[in-house]
Amino acid sequence: MLRYRFTAEGFHRMAEAGILPEDARVELVEGEILTTSPMGKKHAHVLNTLVDLLSPLRGQAVISIQNPLVLGPVTEVYPDLALLKPPRTRYRDRLPEGEDVLLLAEVADTSLDYDLTVKLPLYAKAGIPEVWVVDLVRDRVYVFRRPTGEGYGEREALEGGELEALGLRVPVKEVLP
Amino acid sequence: MTRHRISLEEFHRMVEAGVFPEDLRLELVEGELLEMSPIGPKHAFVVRKLTTLLAPLALENKALLSGQNPLVVGQSELYPDVVLLRPHSDGPDRHPQGQEALLVVEVTDTSLRHDLSVKVPLYAQGGVPEVWVVDREGRRVLVHREPREGGYKEVRTLGPRDTLAFMGVEIPVEELL
Repeated sequence: MLRYRFTAEGFHRMAEAGILPEDARVELVEGEILTTSPMGKKHAHVLNTLVDLLSPLRGQAVISIQNPLVLGPVTEVYPDLALLKPPRTRYRDRLPEGEDVLLLAEVADTSLDYDLTVKLPLYAKAGIPEVWVVDLVRDRVYVFRRPTGEGYGEREALEGGELEALGLRVPVKEVLP
Repeated sequence: MTRHRISLEEFHRMVEAGVFPEDLRLELVEGELLEMSPIGPKHAFVVRKLTTLLAPLALENKALLSGQNPLVVGQSELYPDVVLLRPHSDGPDRHPQGQEALLVVEVTDTSLRHDLSVKVPLYAQGGVPEVWVVDREGRRVLVHREPREGGYKEVRTLGPRDTLAFMGVEIPVEELL
């Protein structure tokens, strides 16, 4: 028996018809509807920190927080933060897709495995050039660059030093809680 | 991340909202939507034969005969190959429920394991009093009676020389293989 895969279009119809659970954070990942547990305070804090630290890039990128990102016909995810190609009006009538993303950041606590094994390959496949995953359990930031068909050619785990986003330097210690 | 289990109500609202392509046949099996594979000619042949042999019960108003239509069992919605329903249990505004069935017949080709391990227990839970599984490959019919939580108390295996009997109708197993 074959599991039915929802399309992004069907997913939107459900949202419009008010069918999906309102109180849950819902994503469409390869045709499956997934719900996420409510965000913890550490996660929220680190996300706020990232927004602060990356805000100098306002002129160079659209800073998109927990907004939809379409990755092909059966996947629509809500990354914690994405730096998108400007201008903002580019996304007035459509949702951003993989090729619009300059950098993507996820904050992970219990979801680390899922982020690394399921979502990361999807980001790579969509050609997203750089992904940061902040690991709240081990206090480190994983940096992935050079997307290939299945994964990233370059990966680093940073516990100190600096991250770099569009020329802006961000100390790892400031990102970690 | 948790896979969202789809409820019966959500499924019906999705159908109304036009989430699915028209020609798709989907079963809701314990919160998951499964695509049904196309029906092969041998399978269809056996179902036609069964329908013809059971038709006298419908003509005599002893049962309603339903072919490859939805049957609701708990939070699942299945499409058994043949269902005999209690007379007067029909209505245009809802699908029949398991406890309104008198007999369910499943014809299996490649899906024997799925039928026996997933569907038969659901029929038992839904209160379907009798289930026949026509295993054409194994040249036998498995007759399940006395539903209880988790399965049927009585399971009998009938071979090609045996005869099935239901409400006075007799069907030689040989005719279904």
